[in-house]
Parts: sequence; structure tokens; C-alpha cells
Amino acid sequence: MTKQHCQVAAFLVLVALPITAGQQGTSDARSERGRQFLGLGPAADPVAAERGRQLFTENCAFCHGANATGAEGPDLVRSTIVLHDEKGETIAPVVLKGRPDKGMPSFASLTSAQVYDLAEFLHQRVEQAANRFGYQMQNVITGNPKAGQAFFNGAGHCTGCHSPAGDLAHVASKFEPPDLQAQFLYPSERAPEARKKNSLTPRVIIQLPSGETASGALKRIDDFEVSIWDALGSYRSWPRDEVKVQIEDPLAAHRELLSKYTDADMHNILAYLETLK
Amino acid sequence: MSRHLIAITLLPVLAAAQLLDPAKLLSPPTDTWPTYNGDYSGERFSTLNQINAGNLDDLALNWMYRTNIGALRGIGNVQIKSTPLEVNGILYFTIPDHVWAVDARTGEELWHYDWVDHGGHLVGQRGVGMYGNWLYFLGPDGWFISLNAKDGSERWRVQVADSKLQYFTTMAPLVIRNHVIIGVGGDAMDVPGYLEARDPETGALEWRWNTEPGVGEPGAETWPNPGAMEHGGGMTWMPGTYDPELNLLYWGTGNPNPVYAGQGRKGSNLWTCSIVALNPDTGKLVWYFQASPHDTHDWDDVETPILIDGEFRGVRRKMLAQAARNGYFFLLDRTNGENLVSAPYTGANWAKGIDSNGQPIPDPSKEPQPNGALLNIAALGGTNWYPPSFDPETNLFYVNATRGYSLAYLTDTEDKPEGYGGGGRSLWVQSMLEAIDYQSGEVRWRHEFPGKGVNGAGILTTAGKLLFTGDPSGNLIAFDPRTGRLLWHFHLQAPVSNGPMTYYLNGREYLVVGAGDTLYAFSLLDMKRAAR
Repeated sequence: MTKQHCQVAAFLVLVALPITAGQQGTSDARSERGRQFLGLGPAADPVAAERGRQLFTENCAFCHGANATGAEGPDLVRSTIVLHDEKGETIAPVVLKGRPDKGMPSFASLTSAQVYDLAEFLHQRVEQAANRFGYQMQNVITGNPKAGQAFFNGAGHCTGCHSPAGDLAHVASKFEPPDLQAQFLYPSERAPEARKKNSLTPRVIIQLPSGETASGALKRIDDFEVSIWDALGSYRSWPRDEVKVQIEDPLAAHRELLSKYTDADMHNILAYLETLK
Repeated sequence: MSRHLIAITLLPVLAAAQLLDPAKLLSPPTDTWPTYNGDYSGERFSTLNQINAGNLDDLALNWMYRTNIGALRGIGNVQIKSTPLEVNGILYFTIPDHVWAVDARTGEELWHYDWVDHGGHLVGQRGVGMYGNWLYFLGPDGWFISLNAKDGSERWRVQVADSKLQYFTTMAPLVIRNHVIIGVGGDAMDVPGYLEARDPETGALEWRWNTEPGVGEPGAETWPNPGAMEHGGGMTWMPGTYDPELNLLYWGTGNPNPVYAGQGRKGSNLWTCSIVALNPDTGKLVWYFQASPHDTHDWDDVETPILIDGEFRGVRRKMLAQAARNGYFFLLDRTNGENLVSAPYTGANWAKGIDSNGQPIPDPSKEPQPNGALLNIAALGGTNWYPPSFDPETNLFYVNATRGYSLAYLTDTEDKPEGYGGGGRSLWVQSMLEAIDYQSGEVRWRHEFPGKGVNGAGILTTAGKLLFTGDPSGNLIAFDPRTGRLLWHFHLQAPVSNGPMTYYLNGREYLVVGAGDTLYAFSLLDMKRAAR
């Protein structure tokens, strides 16, 4: 199967960058935020970097490797000279004069524009390694769709809530494969402002001291307070020690399944859901 | 009186006003909180008991200090992660690029130091260290800075890490006699980790301990080649602990690099993800225990190694306990590193079990995969840097932990991957406060917080028979440390983001906690009335 080049969605953000759901934005925006977070400076010019890649392949790759990660010659992605360079100013002297003591010939015939292009290529390679917020996912669809369908209809008891012709029709065209994988494992709503109307939000039934009950979508619960949006869209809140709270979590079955899947089950189910284009 | 005489009379007084008495570092924190953890043990237990389980109805907000800095580059909202120092009535605390001194009684700002960075990550800042009249602060971009505690003026700065290589510096310097111990962070570009001792007067390097061995040295056999070893990570980004009797410094080291892609660094990758004991005068390694051999999940082992003096199976021992990010609780003999207890406190299906040294054995099938590996632990691990606490009166170790599920992905499948090379994605996560019996590793009680989100609050226990911490919903809560019963709470503007601390000043015990961009101080109401 060919490599999927979908951007890594939310997961890398969760590793280190404290940006909340709903602020994800496009993959370019994520990469840009990653650059800011990492203090990487401006992104390389992609056109110059592509020219630089061709120059690199012709002149440099034999010693430094096709990806500049080193071969006979040193790794240039982790090079202090490259990491300190901004527009070719520290790279140029090395390229133009070479390093005869270390066996590197000079490339004096390269123009300053060409050295700039080479530098942009190397900066792009640095970003591809350093900026985890722009990493490309590889193929995640590796399972057996028939086995996934069998799990869906059998051990997973998924048909109690879902049907491939109903709510899951065309589900594979709504999500990138890694997002679909995360969504079926534990669905999440990424837009907090939509929470009021969100089918994933737990329903709450509140028993008041008077014996009356109130119900609605959970807004917030902690050890001391509970609040809801009721059927009319009104906000209501109570101290926990004055009411009885019953929560109906639509995701309870998904949570229970998390402890039951093998990795093979997970891959098979994704392969099955990917057939629902 | 002549001007000359005034100067002579005032100078020693002024000097004494800011001066930290070195003896304060060797006793439990009461009128002084002189270092990140309050003392060298890392217990974060206070012997103060003016605020106690019997008078919580009178515990009320006394003052607030809001930092008012605005959004931080690449981060957004400010989170105070530093534990303030309190010395002679003044609190010193930080966020990335900023240091403040405020009156510990009123919250009034005395001075503010603003560092202009040229790079580095603004992910956190844990606080300052203090020696005499001098404060020590790390700018995010690798600068080690000394300030005059009196007015926040800069004495000197020295560069200790190169932010262009993706090092960044967030830790609170740890002062041991006349050594200032500093560590570094940075895992985006495969750089080696190190720990340094610097001269408190000049900032000059005294020793440097590298978290990877050199070629041909013991430990080098745990790396496949010098190139992998020289780019192997192992950052030292949290303050350690210290035993003055043994003269041993205990430090946790971070994950190896490339972070998620382990195929280019086969082996256990010493001394990454380890607890190490060093001689603070020489930087020489005395013993090590590796919490995560060949980590591939970004689970730095930098969580506070708390020193416990107590019974173990009927024998009094000098021990060290850690709730590691990888989901295991470890108890070691801190004289020699012997493992006494290794027990998971949350899901740990990434490991197949424990080896004869008490070290978990990673399961290769749960290493990051291109199509995802499903783990029964949150992507960020079972806990993180936020300070745990040990209460010698209950003999329980307290940690804010999570249980949950996550996916681990490999994105760089090259033979020689670089950078992170992958990532983790959390699915469902539940925050919980756990009380662990250190002798068995068993969880004695557990409180699951109903609110969503990962709890980044630290913990303080006190002789007032109280445990203070936060929840993910923005409450500061007092628990009964014996039973886990909730006794008191106060809703803050943001979840608690640092380790709560306490001090005794002018007849009153203060409890200070950082939440978001604001520092909050609490004390007893009737004391306030009495003072009027």
C-alpha cells in the first residue's frame, strides 16, 4: 500500500504543546505554531529549497547522504554550522572553500544564489526533523477488513448503536485515516463551543431535594458543583451535596472496549471502517 | 548623624534583610522555603500546623498577585509552574523570561526582572535558586543569570546551553553549599544531556556530568554506535534532591533521542530515563537505576526522587521513592541504588514485566508503530513533572496521576531517524490523586476527579493533617491525607499549575499556590481579625 501523506492531526500537539482542542487549525497553522514554540525562526522558502535539493543531490549527497543525514561525510541536519545559519552566511564559507583537512573539496563554482538555495534545503531538512508539529503520518490501514467487520458485528457489539448504512455511511470520507482510528477508539468533539448540541456530551439527571428532577447536557462537573444546559438551553447549576447526580455517558461502551482490543483488532476495525467510503 | 554613619548602620541591616541563611537549607521549611522543594528531601511536607483539619472553615483568601504579562510565544496563556521561594518575608517566583519578588505578607510587587530571549522553549519555568543575597535563574534560551535579591538587578550572565541546537532551560537551580546545580532540556534535535555545577560567585563551570558515556567508557555498550550515543538525549530538566549525610545528589534524567523512534539506538541507552546518584563536589556517578531501559514513549524519568528515612520490612533504611512517568512506582536504597519495590500505579502494558534489577522490560510490540500501538496509559505518561509529596506522619507517597489509553505512532522509519520520529495521541484520560504505600507500592486510596483534563497540580502535605492540591476543574482542595476525604476547597480562576507551598510569617501560616497567571495566598480568617 502506498504511503499516506496525511498530516499528523492532534496527537503531536498533545505531546508537548499546550494548545487545547478547537485551536487545531490547518496543518500549516500547526507547523507555524510549532516553529514559534520551538523558536525555529521563519520557514524555509519551498521553491528555493527544491532548487537546493537538486543541487544537493548533484553535489553533496554522495558524501552527506540523500537526506543530508550523513554517510561518508557528517550529518548536516544536526550540524552546528547549519543550525546557526540563517541565510547561508555560515554555510557559504564551508561550501566555497571546502574542508581540505577533512577531505571535503571546495565547491567554488557555486554562485551565492545557489549556496542560498542549498542552505534553504538544509533548513527545510532541519525543520522536517525538529518540528514534530508538521510530521507526516505513514500508512495506518494495515488490518483485515473482514476480521474487522466480524469484530464490529460480534465481539465489539458495535451494532447496538451503529450501522454501516446509517450513522457510519461514508464515515471514511469524513476523516483522515489516523483521525478515524482515534475517533472509533474514543470519539471526541473538537469544537467546545458546539458542546451544547453535541451528541457526545453526557446527559445528566439531577434529583433536587424537593423530589423534582432536572435534566440536560453536562456543562461541568467536579467534586463540588454540577451544571447543565437544560432542554430550553438555559444554564442551571447546583452544589453537589444538595442534589443526586446521575450521568448517562454515551461513550461508556467505547471506554469499556478500550481495555478489550488487541492491536490486531484495532487495525482490523479501521480497515473495515475504511471500506465505508 | 553623619551620612557616613547612616551608611554603616544601614548596610548590614539591608544585607541581612535578603540574606538566605545556609542552615535553612538543612532543616524542614517553616519560616523559610529556601529551595524549589522546600528542603533537600523533596518531601514537600511542612511541619507547620496552624492551618489544620480543625479550622478549615476559617481558611480564606488573603491576597492575590496577577502577573499581567499576556500570551507567551508558542504557548499562549501563562502558567505559573514555579514554586516560589520565601526568604525573610519575600517571595521569589518565575514564569518563562520573568522573575518577581513580592511581599509574602501582602503580595505587593517589589521588583520584576524581564529577560528578552533569543529562542528556547517557553514551556515552563520552575523557579529560582538562592545563595546568600543572590538569586539564580535560567532564561529559556540557555542563559544562566544571577540577580541581586534586593532589587532584581543582574549581576552576571553566562551561556550554559545553545538554543540553536534546540536546548532550552527551565529548571530551578539547586544550591548545595557553594555549588549551583543546573540542568538542561531539549529533545527536538537529538542533542546530548548534561548536568553542571557552577560557581555561585562567578557562574564558572565547576563540573559537568554527561548523561551519556563517552566512547569506550562503561555504559557505552548500551548504545549501538558513537553517533547514536552522542545524539542520545537524556535531559536534566527538573531539580533533584540531596542527602547531606551521604553527600549524594539524586537526579532524574529524561528520555533518549530520537524520542519515539528507537530503531537507530538499539540497547538500553544509559544513562537516559534513569535515577542517578552523583557526588556534588565532583560530578562523579556513584550509582544508577534505569526506570525505562530503551524508552520510546517520551517518558522522561525526571519526576522528583523523594528521600524517605523510614522502615522497610522492619529495618530502618535510607530510601528514595519515585512515581515515574512510565507508570511505575520505584523504591530504592539510596546508599547504593538497590531496588526495593517496582510496582505499577497505573496501566503499564508497555512493559512485559520486571527484570532481576527491578527495571521494567519494554514490550517491543508496544513501541511506537507506523499504524499505531494501543497503550493502557495516557500519551503523556502516568504522571509528569508536577511535584508529588511524602507525608512522614501517614507514611504515604502522594502523586497526581492519570489512567487512560493512548496510541503511539512511528513516523520516521529510516534506519537513522532524527528528532521525535513519531508521537503519541491520548484517547481517554482520567485524572486521579493516588496515595501509595511506599513499602509495597500498593495504592492505599485513590480519588478520581470528575472533571475532564489532565491535572497538572503539585502536592503539599502538612503536620496540620492536610494534603493540598488542585483538580482539573480549577479547585484548590484540602484532603485528609490518611483517607482521601475532601475537607475544603476554593475555586480559582484556573487549575492549580504549580506545587503549593507554605510558610510562617508574623504569627501566621500562609498557603501559597499558583494557578494560571496568578499567585493566591491563603491564611486563617480569625488570625486576620486578631491582627487588626
